[in-house]
Amino acid sequence: MPQRRSWGRRLGVLFILLWSLVPLYWALNTSLQTDAQISSKPAHYVPPSPTLHNFHSLLVGSGEIPSTIRRSTINIFVECTAATIITVVLATLAAYAFARMKFRGRTLLFYAVLATMAFPAYTTLIPLYRIMSMFSLVNTYTGIVLVYVSGFLPLATWILHSYMTTLPVAIEEAGQVDGAGRMQVLWRIVLPLAWPGVVSTAIITFLFAWAQFLFPLVLSSDDSTQPLTVAIAALQGRHTVPFGLLSSAGVFAIAVPAVIAVLLNRYIVNGLLSGSVK
Amino acid sequence: MTVNLSTDTRPSAGPAPAAVRRRRRRFDALPYALVTPLALFIVALALIPAGVTIVQSFYRVQELNPPTVFAGLENFRRLFGDSTIRASMENTGLYVVIGVILSTVLGIVMAVTLQRRFRGRSLLIAVLILPWALPGVVEGIVWTGIWDSNTGLLNSVLNSLHLISDYHVFLGQNRLLTIFAIELVQIWQMTPLSTLLILASLQNIPDELYEAAYLDGSSTWAAFRRITLPLARPGIAIAMVQALIATLNVFDQPYVLNGAAQAGASLTEQTYYVSFQNLDFGEGYALSLLITVATLVIALGVVKLVYRPVEY
Repeated sequence: MPQRRSWGRRLGVLFILLWSLVPLYWALNTSLQTDAQISSKPAHYVPPSPTLHNFHSLLVGSGEIPSTIRRSTINIFVECTAATIITVVLATLAAYAFARMKFRGRTLLFYAVLATMAFPAYTTLIPLYRIMSMFSLVNTYTGIVLVYVSGFLPLATWILHSYMTTLPVAIEEAGQVDGAGRMQVLWRIVLPLAWPGVVSTAIITFLFAWAQFLFPLVLSSDDSTQPLTVAIAALQGRHTVPFGLLSSAGVFAIAVPAVIAVLLNRYIVNGLLSGSVK
Repeated sequence: MTVNLSTDTRPSAGPAPAAVRRRRRRFDALPYALVTPLALFIVALALIPAGVTIVQSFYRVQELNPPTVFAGLENFRRLFGDSTIRASMENTGLYVVIGVILSTVLGIVMAVTLQRRFRGRSLLIAVLILPWALPGVVEGIVWTGIWDSNTGLLNSVLNSLHLISDYHVFLGQNRLLTIFAIELVQIWQMTPLSTLLILASLQNIPDELYEAAYLDGSSTWAAFRRITLPLARPGIAIAMVQALIATLNVFDQPYVLNGAAQAGASLTEQTYYVSFQNLDFGEGYALSLLITVATLVIALGVVKLVYRPVEY
Protein backbone atom coordinates (compact mmCIF):
# COMPACT_ATOMS: atom_id res chain seq x y z
CA MET A 1 0.00 0.00 0.00
CA PRO A 2 2.60 2.59 0.90
CA GLN A 3 4.08 2.47 -2.61
CA ARG A 4 0.69 3.16 -4.14
CA ARG A 5 0.60 6.65 -2.76
CA SER A 6 4.28 7.31 -2.63
CA TRP A 7 4.26 9.97 -5.38
CA GLY A 8 1.29 11.68 -3.88
CA ARG A 9 3.00 11.64 -0.55
CA ARG A 10 6.24 13.06 -1.90
CA LEU A 11 4.28 15.94 -3.40
CA GLY A 12 2.49 16.42 -0.09
CA VAL A 13 5.75 16.43 1.86
CA LEU A 14 7.25 18.94 -0.55
CA PHE A 15 4.15 21.11 -0.25
CA ILE A 16 4.23 21.11 3.57
CA LEU A 17 7.93 22.03 3.57
CA LEU A 18 7.53 24.89 1.08
CA TRP A 19 4.31 26.16 2.66
CA SER A 20 5.77 26.32 6.17
CA LEU A 21 9.29 27.41 5.40
CA VAL A 22 9.31 29.76 2.38
CA PRO A 23 7.76 32.75 4.20
CA LEU A 24 10.09 32.22 7.16
CA TYR A 25 13.10 31.85 4.89
CA TRP A 26 12.13 35.06 3.16
CA ALA A 27 11.95 37.01 6.43
CA LEU A 28 15.34 35.65 7.48
CA ASN A 29 16.79 36.43 4.04
CA THR A 30 15.54 40.02 4.24
CA SER A 31 16.87 40.51 7.75
CA LEU A 32 20.38 39.55 6.60
CA GLN A 33 20.55 42.22 3.90
CA THR A 34 21.20 45.94 3.87
CA ASP A 35 18.33 48.23 2.96
CA ALA A 36 19.90 48.92 -0.43
CA GLN A 37 20.06 45.20 -1.19
CA ILE A 38 16.48 44.68 -0.03
CA SER A 39 15.14 47.22 -2.51
CA SER A 40 16.88 45.75 -5.54
CA LYS A 41 14.78 44.46 -8.45
CA PRO A 42 14.67 41.55 -8.89
CA ALA A 43 15.08 40.67 -5.23
CA HIS A 44 18.12 38.79 -3.93
CA TYR A 45 16.93 35.25 -3.30
CA VAL A 46 19.94 34.66 -1.06
CA PRO A 47 21.72 37.46 0.80
CA PRO A 48 24.57 38.62 -1.52
CA SER A 49 26.75 39.52 1.45
CA PRO A 50 25.03 38.29 4.63
CA THR A 51 25.24 40.89 7.36
CA LEU A 52 24.14 40.89 10.98
CA HIS A 53 24.04 44.66 10.86
CA ASN A 54 20.26 44.86 11.46
CA PHE A 55 20.43 42.54 14.47
CA HIS A 56 23.44 44.39 15.77
CA SER A 57 21.65 47.72 15.71
CA LEU A 58 18.61 46.18 17.42
CA LEU A 59 20.65 44.58 20.18
CA VAL A 60 23.18 47.25 21.02
CA GLY A 61 22.29 50.25 18.87
CA SER A 62 21.17 53.51 20.39
CA GLY A 63 18.13 55.40 19.21
CA GLU A 64 14.42 55.12 19.74
CA ILE A 65 13.59 52.04 17.67
CA PRO A 66 16.21 49.66 19.12
CA SER A 67 15.48 50.73 22.69
CA THR A 68 11.73 50.24 22.15
CA ILE A 69 12.36 46.76 20.73
CA ARG A 70 14.67 45.84 23.61
CA ARG A 71 12.28 47.12 26.24
CA SER A 72 9.31 45.33 24.68
CA THR A 73 11.33 42.10 24.48
CA ILE A 74 11.85 42.24 28.24
CA ASN A 75 8.14 43.03 28.67
CA ILE A 76 6.97 40.08 26.59
CA PHE A 77 9.23 37.70 28.54
CA VAL A 78 8.00 38.99 31.90
CA GLU A 79 4.34 38.88 30.90
CA CYS A 80 4.45 35.47 29.22
CA THR A 81 6.44 33.83 32.01
CA ALA A 82 4.26 35.23 34.79
CA ALA A 83 1.04 34.33 32.97
CA THR A 84 2.31 30.80 32.24
CA ILE A 85 3.38 30.05 35.81
CA ILE A 86 0.19 31.37 37.39
CA THR A 87 -2.02 29.66 34.81
CA VAL A 88 -0.35 26.26 35.16
CA VAL A 89 -0.34 26.32 38.98
CA LEU A 90 -3.99 27.37 39.29
CA ALA A 91 -5.10 25.02 36.51
CA THR A 92 -3.29 22.07 38.12
CA LEU A 93 -5.01 22.65 41.47
CA ALA A 94 -8.43 23.05 39.89
CA ALA A 95 -7.99 20.11 37.49
CA TYR A 96 -7.01 17.86 40.43
CA ALA A 97 -10.16 18.86 42.29
CA PHE A 98 -12.33 18.31 39.21
CA ALA A 99 -10.72 14.97 38.41
CA ARG A 100 -10.53 13.43 41.88
CA MET A 101 -12.94 15.07 44.32
CA LYS A 102 -16.68 15.43 44.68
CA PHE A 103 -18.05 18.74 45.84
CA ARG A 104 -21.20 20.79 45.47
CA GLY A 105 -21.19 22.97 42.39
CA ARG A 106 -18.54 20.89 40.63
CA THR A 107 -20.60 20.30 37.49
CA LEU A 108 -21.84 23.88 37.39
CA LEU A 109 -18.34 25.33 37.65
CA PHE A 110 -16.99 22.87 35.11
CA TYR A 111 -19.66 23.88 32.61
CA ALA A 112 -18.93 27.55 33.31
CA VAL A 113 -15.28 26.88 32.43
CA LEU A 114 -16.30 25.13 29.20
CA ALA A 115 -18.73 27.92 28.34
CA THR A 116 -16.02 30.57 28.56
CA MET A 117 -14.00 28.53 26.06
CA ALA A 118 -16.92 28.56 23.63
CA PHE A 119 -17.27 32.28 23.18
CA PRO A 120 -14.71 34.40 21.35
CA ALA A 121 -12.19 36.10 23.63
CA TYR A 122 -12.87 39.51 22.13
CA THR A 123 -16.42 39.49 23.59
CA THR A 124 -14.90 40.61 26.87
CA LEU A 125 -12.37 43.13 25.54
CA ILE A 126 -14.22 46.38 26.28
CA PRO A 127 -15.48 45.37 29.77
CA LEU A 128 -12.00 44.13 30.68
CA TYR A 129 -10.53 47.45 29.61
CA ARG A 130 -13.04 49.32 31.76
CA ILE A 131 -12.49 47.03 34.76
CA MET A 132 -8.73 47.45 34.46
CA SER A 133 -8.96 51.22 34.17
CA MET A 134 -11.31 51.29 37.16
CA PHE A 135 -8.56 49.65 39.24
CA SER A 136 -5.75 51.68 37.55
CA LEU A 137 -4.29 48.49 36.08
CA VAL A 138 -4.05 49.67 32.47
CA ASN A 139 -0.40 49.74 31.39
CA THR A 140 0.75 47.58 34.28
CA TYR A 141 2.21 44.07 34.26
CA THR A 142 -0.42 43.02 36.82
CA GLY A 143 -3.30 44.08 34.61
CA ILE A 144 -2.18 42.32 31.45
CA VAL A 145 -1.11 39.17 33.33
CA LEU A 146 -4.50 38.95 35.08
CA VAL A 147 -6.24 39.16 31.71
CA TYR A 148 -3.94 36.53 30.17
CA VAL A 149 -4.50 34.15 33.09
CA SER A 150 -8.28 34.55 32.87
CA GLY A 151 -8.10 33.87 29.14
CA PHE A 152 -5.84 30.80 29.29
CA LEU A 153 -7.11 29.13 32.51
CA PRO A 154 -10.12 27.39 30.95
CA LEU A 155 -8.12 25.62 28.23
CA ALA A 156 -5.28 24.81 30.66
CA THR A 157 -7.72 23.34 33.19
CA TRP A 158 -9.40 21.35 30.44
CA ILE A 159 -6.13 19.87 29.11
CA LEU A 160 -4.87 18.97 32.59
CA HIS A 161 -8.24 17.53 33.56
CA SER A 162 -8.15 15.27 30.48
CA TYR A 163 -4.67 14.08 31.47
CA MET A 164 -5.50 13.46 35.12
CA THR A 165 -8.68 11.51 34.43
CA THR A 166 -6.65 9.04 32.35
CA LEU A 167 -4.30 8.30 35.27
CA PRO A 168 -5.07 5.13 37.26
CA VAL A 169 -6.68 5.97 40.61
CA ALA A 170 -5.19 2.87 42.27
CA ILE A 171 -1.73 4.40 42.75
CA GLU A 172 -3.20 7.45 44.44
CA GLU A 173 -5.35 5.24 46.68
CA ALA A 174 -2.25 3.32 47.69
CA GLY A 175 -0.61 6.61 48.59
CA GLN A 176 -3.57 7.58 50.74
CA VAL A 177 -3.57 4.24 52.50
CA ASP A 178 0.06 4.92 53.33
CA GLY A 179 -1.13 8.01 55.13
CA ALA A 180 -0.26 10.69 52.60
CA GLY A 181 -2.61 13.67 52.61
CA ARG A 182 -4.40 14.61 49.41
CA MET A 183 -2.05 17.52 48.68
CA GLN A 184 0.90 15.17 49.20
CA VAL A 185 -0.72 12.72 46.78
CA LEU A 186 -1.06 15.54 44.26
CA TRP A 187 2.54 16.62 44.73
CA ARG A 188 4.26 13.22 44.95
CA ILE A 189 2.08 10.96 42.81
CA VAL A 190 -0.27 12.85 40.49
CA LEU A 191 2.12 15.59 39.36
CA PRO A 192 4.98 13.26 38.34
CA LEU A 193 2.52 11.07 36.42
CA ALA A 194 0.76 14.01 34.80
CA TRP A 195 4.04 15.79 34.08
CA PRO A 196 3.82 15.52 30.26
CA GLY A 197 0.41 17.15 30.48
CA VAL A 198 1.76 19.90 32.71
CA VAL A 199 4.60 20.58 30.26
CA SER A 200 2.18 20.61 27.30
CA THR A 201 -0.08 23.05 29.10
CA ALA A 202 2.82 25.32 30.02
CA ILE A 203 4.18 25.38 26.45
CA ILE A 204 0.79 26.03 24.87
CA THR A 205 0.00 28.77 27.39
CA PHE A 206 3.37 30.43 26.82
CA LEU A 207 2.93 30.36 23.03
CA PHE A 208 -0.60 31.78 23.29
CA ALA A 209 0.64 34.56 25.56
CA TRP A 210 3.54 35.31 23.21
CA ALA A 211 1.13 35.64 20.28
CA GLN A 212 -1.28 38.08 21.97
CA PHE A 213 -1.90 41.33 20.19
CA LEU A 214 -5.31 42.98 20.51
CA PHE A 215 -5.51 42.65 24.31
CA PRO A 216 -2.10 44.21 24.99
CA LEU A 217 -2.77 46.79 22.25
CA VAL A 218 -5.68 47.98 24.37
CA LEU A 219 -4.45 47.16 27.87
CA SER A 220 -0.71 47.80 27.77
CA SER A 221 0.28 49.93 24.85
CA ASP A 222 2.72 52.39 26.40
CA ASP A 223 6.46 51.83 26.26
CA SER A 224 6.81 50.57 29.82
CA THR A 225 4.65 47.45 29.39
CA GLN A 226 3.94 46.89 25.69
CA PRO A 227 5.03 43.42 24.48
CA LEU A 228 7.17 42.88 21.40
CA THR A 229 4.14 42.14 19.19
CA VAL A 230 2.59 45.54 19.89
CA ALA A 231 5.91 47.35 19.47
CA ILE A 232 6.55 45.71 16.08
CA ALA A 233 3.07 46.50 14.78
CA ALA A 234 3.51 50.13 15.85
CA LEU A 235 6.81 50.30 13.95
CA GLN A 236 5.22 48.79 10.88
CA GLY A 237 2.53 51.46 10.95
CA ARG A 238 5.18 54.17 10.59
CA HIS A 239 6.32 54.02 6.99
CA THR A 240 9.70 55.55 7.73
CA VAL A 241 11.04 52.47 9.49
CA PRO A 242 13.63 50.64 7.36
CA PHE A 243 12.40 47.23 6.23
CA GLY A 244 15.63 45.48 7.21
CA LEU A 245 15.23 46.61 10.80
CA LEU A 246 11.55 45.64 10.80
CA SER A 247 12.35 42.18 9.39
CA SER A 248 15.04 41.54 11.94
CA ALA A 249 12.68 42.61 14.73
CA GLY A 250 10.18 40.15 13.24
CA VAL A 251 12.79 37.37 13.17
CA PHE A 252 13.50 38.25 16.80
CA ALA A 253 9.84 37.77 17.75
CA ILE A 254 9.62 34.55 15.75
CA ALA A 255 12.80 32.94 17.09
CA VAL A 256 11.54 32.03 20.57
CA PRO A 257 8.23 30.40 19.59
CA ALA A 258 9.87 28.75 16.56
CA VAL A 259 12.56 27.07 18.66
CA ILE A 260 9.94 25.95 21.19
CA ALA A 261 7.71 24.58 18.43
CA VAL A 262 10.47 22.61 16.73
CA LEU A 263 12.10 21.19 19.86
CA LEU A 264 8.96 20.49 21.89
CA ASN A 265 6.46 19.77 19.11
CA ARG A 266 5.46 16.41 20.60
CA TYR A 267 4.17 18.10 23.76
CA ILE A 268 2.32 20.68 21.71
CA VAL A 269 0.65 18.10 19.48
CA ASN A 270 -0.41 15.96 22.45
CA GLY A 271 -1.68 18.93 24.41
CA LEU A 272 -3.65 20.39 21.50
CA LEU A 273 -5.25 17.06 20.68
CA SER A 274 -6.18 16.19 24.25
CA GLY A 275 -7.58 19.69 24.63
CA SER A 276 -9.77 19.71 21.59
CA VAL A 277 -10.71 16.18 20.62
CA LYS A 278 -11.69 14.45 23.81
CA MET B 1 -14.21 10.52 45.37
CA THR B 2 -11.71 10.91 48.17
CA VAL B 3 -14.49 10.81 50.70
CA ASN B 4 -15.45 7.37 49.45
CA LEU B 5 -11.84 6.30 49.55
CA SER B 6 -11.61 6.16 53.32
CA THR B 7 -14.41 3.59 53.41
CA ASP B 8 -13.47 1.73 50.21
CA THR B 9 -9.96 1.01 51.35
CA ARG B 10 -10.97 -0.81 54.51
CA PRO B 11 -14.02 -2.78 53.56
CA SER B 12 -13.27 -5.72 55.86
CA ALA B 13 -11.85 -3.85 58.80
CA GLY B 14 -15.12 -4.05 60.64
CA PRO B 15 -16.87 -0.84 61.61
CA ALA B 16 -15.00 2.21 60.38
CA PRO B 17 -13.05 4.00 63.09
CA ALA B 18 -14.81 6.93 64.63
CA ALA B 19 -12.30 9.39 63.18
CA VAL B 20 -13.07 8.30 59.64
CA ARG B 21 -16.80 8.48 60.21
CA ARG B 22 -16.51 11.94 61.64
CA ARG B 23 -14.37 13.09 58.74
CA ARG B 24 -16.92 11.83 56.28
CA ARG B 25 -19.66 13.95 57.76
CA ARG B 26 -17.46 17.00 58.20
CA PHE B 27 -17.55 19.64 55.50
CA ASP B 28 -14.64 19.03 53.11
CA ALA B 29 -13.06 22.39 52.35
CA LEU B 30 -10.11 21.23 50.25
CA PRO B 31 -11.83 21.00 46.81
CA TYR B 32 -13.29 24.46 47.29
CA ALA B 33 -9.90 25.84 48.17
CA LEU B 34 -8.46 24.26 45.03
CA VAL B 35 -11.06 25.65 42.63
CA THR B 36 -11.56 29.07 44.22
CA PRO B 37 -8.82 30.86 42.25
CA LEU B 38 -10.17 29.44 38.98
CA ALA B 39 -13.72 30.39 39.94
CA LEU B 40 -12.68 33.95 40.84
CA PHE B 41 -10.90 34.43 37.51
CA ILE B 42 -13.76 32.96 35.50
CA VAL B 43 -16.45 34.96 37.27
CA ALA B 44 -14.64 38.30 37.59
CA LEU B 45 -12.79 38.40 34.28
CA ALA B 46 -14.95 36.30 31.94
CA LEU B 47 -18.57 35.83 33.02
CA ILE B 48 -19.20 39.29 34.47
CA PRO B 49 -17.52 41.04 31.49
CA ALA B 50 -19.56 38.90 29.10
CA GLY B 51 -22.71 39.88 31.01
CA VAL B 52 -21.69 43.53 30.85
CA THR B 53 -21.28 43.25 27.07
CA ILE B 54 -24.77 41.78 26.69
CA VAL B 55 -26.51 44.31 28.95
CA GLN B 56 -24.64 47.43 27.95
CA SER B 57 -25.05 46.87 24.23
CA PHE B 58 -28.55 48.23 24.86
CA TYR B 59 -27.20 51.39 26.52
CA ARG B 60 -25.62 54.54 25.26
CA VAL B 61 -22.11 54.30 26.73
CA GLN B 62 -19.83 57.08 25.52
CA GLU B 63 -16.71 57.80 27.50
CA LEU B 64 -16.61 61.47 26.47
CA ASN B 65 -20.34 61.99 26.64
CA PRO B 66 -21.79 60.68 29.90
CA PRO B 67 -24.16 59.70 31.41
CA THR B 68 -24.90 56.14 30.39
CA VAL B 69 -28.58 55.81 29.49
CA PHE B 70 -30.78 53.02 28.21
CA ALA B 71 -31.03 53.25 24.44
CA GLY B 72 -32.92 50.12 23.38
CA LEU B 73 -31.79 48.99 19.95
CA GLU B 74 -30.21 52.34 19.05
CA ASN B 75 -26.65 50.95 18.96
CA PHE B 76 -27.65 48.13 16.63
CA ARG B 77 -29.62 50.50 14.42
CA ARG B 78 -26.60 52.76 14.07
CA LEU B 79 -24.35 49.80 13.28
CA PHE B 80 -26.53 48.58 10.44
CA GLY B 81 -26.93 52.16 9.19
CA ASP B 82 -23.16 52.66 8.97
CA SER B 83 -21.81 51.80 5.53
CA THR B 84 -18.26 51.16 6.84
CA ILE B 85 -19.61 48.60 9.30
CA ARG B 86 -21.76 46.98 6.62
CA ALA B 87 -18.72 46.77 4.36
CA SER B 88 -16.73 45.14 7.15
CA MET B 89 -19.54 42.60 7.62
CA GLU B 90 -19.14 41.63 3.97
CA ASN B 91 -15.36 41.55 4.37
CA THR B 92 -15.65 39.29 7.40
CA GLY B 93 -18.01 37.03 5.46
CA LEU B 94 -15.35 36.72 2.75
CA TYR B 95 -12.61 36.03 5.33
CA VAL B 96 -14.77 33.28 6.82
CA VAL B 97 -15.68 31.61 3.52
CA ILE B 98 -12.16 31.74 2.06
CA GLY B 99 -10.49 30.82 5.35
CA VAL B 100 -12.73 27.92 6.37
CA ILE B 101 -12.74 26.32 2.90
CA LEU B 102 -9.02 26.66 2.17
CA SER B 103 -7.75 25.73 5.64
CA THR B 104 -9.98 22.64 5.64
CA VAL B 105 -8.95 21.53 2.15
CA LEU B 106 -5.26 22.13 2.87
CA GLY B 107 -5.68 20.45 6.27
CA ILE B 108 -7.12 17.32 4.58
CA VAL B 109 -4.28 17.26 2.02
CA MET B 110 -1.61 17.61 4.69
CA ALA B 111 -3.26 15.13 7.07
CA VAL B 112 -3.48 12.49 4.30
CA THR B 113 0.20 13.12 3.55
CA LEU B 114 1.01 12.39 7.20
CA GLN B 115 -1.49 9.54 7.65
CA ARG B 116 1.02 6.69 7.42
CA ARG B 117 4.36 6.44 9.21
CA PHE B 118 7.45 7.20 7.17
CA ARG B 119 10.99 8.28 7.84
CA GLY B 120 11.21 11.94 8.84
CA ARG B 121 7.49 12.14 9.62
CA SER B 122 7.92 13.56 13.13
CA LEU B 123 10.37 16.14 11.85
CA LEU B 124 7.83 17.11 9.19
CA ILE B 125 5.18 17.54 11.91
CA ALA B 126 7.57 19.90 13.73
CA VAL B 127 7.92 21.95 10.54
CA LEU B 128 4.18 21.77 9.96
CA ILE B 129 3.22 23.34 13.30
CA LEU B 130 5.71 26.22 12.98
CA PRO B 131 3.25 28.75 11.50
CA TRP B 132 0.69 27.88 14.19
CA ALA B 133 3.16 28.77 16.95
CA LEU B 134 4.01 32.27 15.72
CA PRO B 135 2.23 35.53 16.59
CA GLY B 136 -0.28 36.62 13.94
CA VAL B 137 1.06 40.18 13.95
CA VAL B 138 4.57 39.05 13.14
CA GLU B 139 3.23 36.72 10.46
CA GLY B 140 1.64 39.81 8.98
CA ILE B 141 5.08 41.46 8.88
CA VAL B 142 6.63 38.32 7.38
CA TRP B 143 4.02 38.20 4.62
CA THR B 144 4.40 41.91 3.94
CA GLY B 145 7.77 40.83 2.57
CA ILE B 146 5.93 38.59 0.11
CA TRP B 147 3.05 40.85 -0.95
CA ASP B 148 4.96 44.17 -0.97
CA SER B 149 4.56 46.22 -4.15
CA ASN B 150 8.22 47.32 -4.28
CA THR B 151 10.37 44.67 -2.69
CA GLY B 152 7.99 41.72 -2.38
CA LEU B 153 8.97 38.13 -3.21
CA LEU B 154 5.85 37.47 -5.27
CA ASN B 155 6.38 40.47 -7.56
CA SER B 156 10.01 39.59 -8.00
CA VAL B 157 9.31 35.94 -8.85
CA LEU B 158 6.44 36.74 -11.24
CA ASN B 159 8.61 39.35 -12.91
CA SER B 160 11.62 37.04 -13.21
CA LEU B 161 9.35 34.44 -14.83
CA HIS B 162 8.11 37.17 -17.24
CA LEU B 163 4.54 36.62 -16.07
CA ILE B 164 4.20 40.31 -15.22
CA SER B 165 6.11 43.27 -16.60
CA ASP B 166 5.29 45.80 -13.87
CA TYR B 167 5.22 45.25 -10.14
CA HIS B 168 1.66 44.92 -8.84
CA VAL B 169 -0.01 46.31 -5.75
CA PHE B 170 -1.62 43.30 -4.08
CA LEU B 171 -2.83 44.98 -0.91
CA GLY B 172 -5.26 47.85 -0.64
CA GLN B 173 -6.41 48.38 -4.24
CA ASN B 174 -8.67 45.55 -5.28
CA ARG B 175 -10.88 44.60 -2.34
CA LEU B 176 -11.24 40.92 -3.16
CA LEU B 177 -7.52 40.52 -3.85
CA THR B 178 -6.67 42.35 -0.63
CA ILE B 179 -8.95 40.13 1.40
CA PHE B 180 -7.59 36.98 -0.24
CA ALA B 181 -3.98 38.04 0.35
CA ILE B 182 -4.67 38.87 4.00
CA GLU B 183 -6.72 35.74 4.62
CA LEU B 184 -3.99 33.55 3.13
CA VAL B 185 -1.76 34.73 5.98
CA GLN B 186 -4.35 33.62 8.51
CA ILE B 187 -4.82 30.33 6.64
CA TRP B 188 -1.07 29.85 6.94
CA GLN B 189 -1.46 30.14 10.71
CA MET B 190 -4.63 28.03 11.09
CA THR B 191 -3.89 25.10 8.78
CA PRO B 192 -1.44 23.30 11.13
CA LEU B 193 -4.14 22.91 13.79
CA SER B 194 -6.70 21.82 11.17
CA THR B 195 -4.20 19.24 9.93
CA LEU B 196 -3.55 17.86 13.42
CA LEU B 197 -7.27 17.62 14.22
CA ILE B 198 -8.02 15.82 10.95
CA LEU B 199 -4.93 13.62 11.33
CA ALA B 200 -6.16 12.52 14.77
CA SER B 201 -9.35 11.23 13.11
CA LEU B 202 -7.42 9.54 10.28
CA GLN B 203 -5.24 7.62 12.69
CA ASN B 204 -8.27 5.88 14.14
CA ILE B 205 -9.09 4.32 10.75
CA PRO B 206 -8.06 0.64 10.76
CA ASP B 207 -5.61 -0.36 8.00
CA GLU B 208 -7.78 -3.40 7.19
CA LEU B 209 -10.39 -1.13 5.63
CA TYR B 210 -7.87 0.10 3.06
CA GLU B 211 -6.45 -3.40 2.49
CA ALA B 212 -9.93 -4.74 1.82
CA ALA B 213 -10.72 -1.88 -0.53
CA TYR B 214 -7.52 -2.32 -2.53
CA LEU B 215 -8.09 -6.09 -2.73
CA ASP B 216 -11.47 -5.32 -4.24
CA GLY B 217 -9.67 -3.26 -6.86
CA SER B 218 -10.51 0.21 -5.54
CA SER B 219 -8.38 3.07 -6.78
CA THR B 220 -6.56 5.34 -4.33
CA TRP B 221 -9.07 8.05 -5.12
CA ALA B 222 -12.04 5.78 -4.48
CA ALA B 223 -10.52 4.68 -1.16
CA PHE B 224 -10.04 8.33 -0.23
CA ARG B 225 -13.63 9.21 -1.07
CA ARG B 226 -15.31 6.16 0.41
CA ILE B 227 -13.12 5.52 3.48
CA THR B 228 -10.90 8.44 4.42
CA LEU B 229 -13.28 11.34 3.91
CA PRO B 230 -16.36 9.90 5.68
CA LEU B 231 -14.37 8.58 8.62
CA ALA B 232 -12.48 11.86 9.04
CA ARG B 233 -15.73 13.79 9.53
CA PRO B 234 -15.38 14.34 13.30
CA GLY B 235 -11.90 15.82 12.83
CA ILE B 236 -13.01 17.88 9.84
CA ALA B 237 -15.95 19.26 11.83
CA ILE B 238 -13.73 20.38 14.71
CA ALA B 239 -11.18 21.82 12.28
CA MET B 240 -13.91 23.80 10.51
CA VAL B 241 -15.27 25.14 13.80
CA GLN B 242 -11.87 26.34 14.97
CA ALA B 243 -11.26 27.97 11.57
CA LEU B 244 -14.69 29.57 11.73
CA ILE B 245 -14.10 31.08 15.16
CA ALA B 246 -10.65 32.33 14.12
CA THR B 247 -11.83 33.88 10.84
CA LEU B 248 -14.95 35.52 12.30
CA ASN B 249 -12.66 37.21 14.82
CA VAL B 250 -9.74 37.98 12.48
CA PHE B 251 -7.87 41.06 13.66
CA ASP B 252 -4.06 40.81 13.71
CA GLN B 253 -3.48 40.07 10.03
CA PRO B 254 -5.74 42.77 8.52
CA TYR B 255 -4.58 45.28 11.15
CA VAL B 256 -0.97 44.82 10.08
CA LEU B 257 -1.39 44.17 6.35
CA ASN B 258 -4.09 46.73 5.61
CA GLY B 259 -2.19 49.71 6.90
CA ALA B 260 -4.15 52.90 6.56
CA ALA B 261 -6.21 51.57 3.65
CA GLN B 262 -9.48 50.17 4.93
CA ALA B 263 -10.14 47.93 1.94
CA GLY B 264 -10.30 44.73 3.97
CA ALA B 265 -11.24 45.89 7.47
CA SER B 266 -12.81 43.11 9.54
CA LEU B 267 -15.61 43.34 12.10
CA THR B 268 -13.21 42.90 15.02
CA GLU B 269 -11.10 45.75 13.62
CA GLN B 270 -14.21 47.95 13.47
CA THR B 271 -15.01 47.00 17.08
CA TYR B 272 -11.56 48.22 18.03
CA TYR B 273 -11.91 51.48 16.10
CA VAL B 274 -15.45 52.18 17.33
CA SER B 275 -14.54 51.50 20.96
CA PHE B 276 -11.02 52.76 21.35
CA GLN B 277 -10.75 55.50 18.74
CA ASN B 278 -14.31 56.88 18.72
CA LEU B 279 -14.68 55.85 22.39
CA ASP B 280 -18.25 54.74 21.69
CA PHE B 281 -18.38 51.75 24.01
CA GLY B 282 -22.11 51.16 23.55
CA GLU B 283 -21.70 50.61 19.83
CA GLY B 284 -18.59 48.52 20.52
CA TYR B 285 -20.55 46.30 22.91
CA ALA B 286 -23.29 45.85 20.33
CA LEU B 287 -20.77 44.89 17.66
CA SER B 288 -19.00 42.41 19.99
CA LEU B 289 -22.35 40.87 20.86
CA LEU B 290 -23.23 40.48 17.17
CA ILE B 291 -19.91 38.75 16.45
CA THR B 292 -20.32 36.44 19.45
CA VAL B 293 -23.86 35.44 18.56
CA ALA B 294 -22.88 34.89 14.92
CA THR B 295 -19.92 32.77 16.02
CA LEU B 296 -21.99 30.56 18.31
CA VAL B 297 -24.87 30.12 15.85
CA ILE B 298 -22.71 29.34 12.81
CA ALA B 299 -20.42 27.06 14.84
CA LEU B 300 -23.43 25.02 16.00
CA GLY B 301 -24.66 24.90 12.41
CA VAL B 302 -21.33 23.58 11.14
CA VAL B 303 -21.22 20.92 13.86
CA LYS B 304 -24.77 19.79 12.99
CA LEU B 305 -23.96 19.72 9.28
CA VAL B 306 -20.56 18.04 9.27
CA TYR B 307 -20.15 16.13 12.51
CA ARG B 308 -21.09 12.45 12.45
CA PRO B 309 -19.98 10.22 15.28
CA VAL B 310 -17.95 7.33 13.88
CA GLU B 311 -18.11 3.78 15.19
CA TYR B 312 -15.76 1.04 14.11
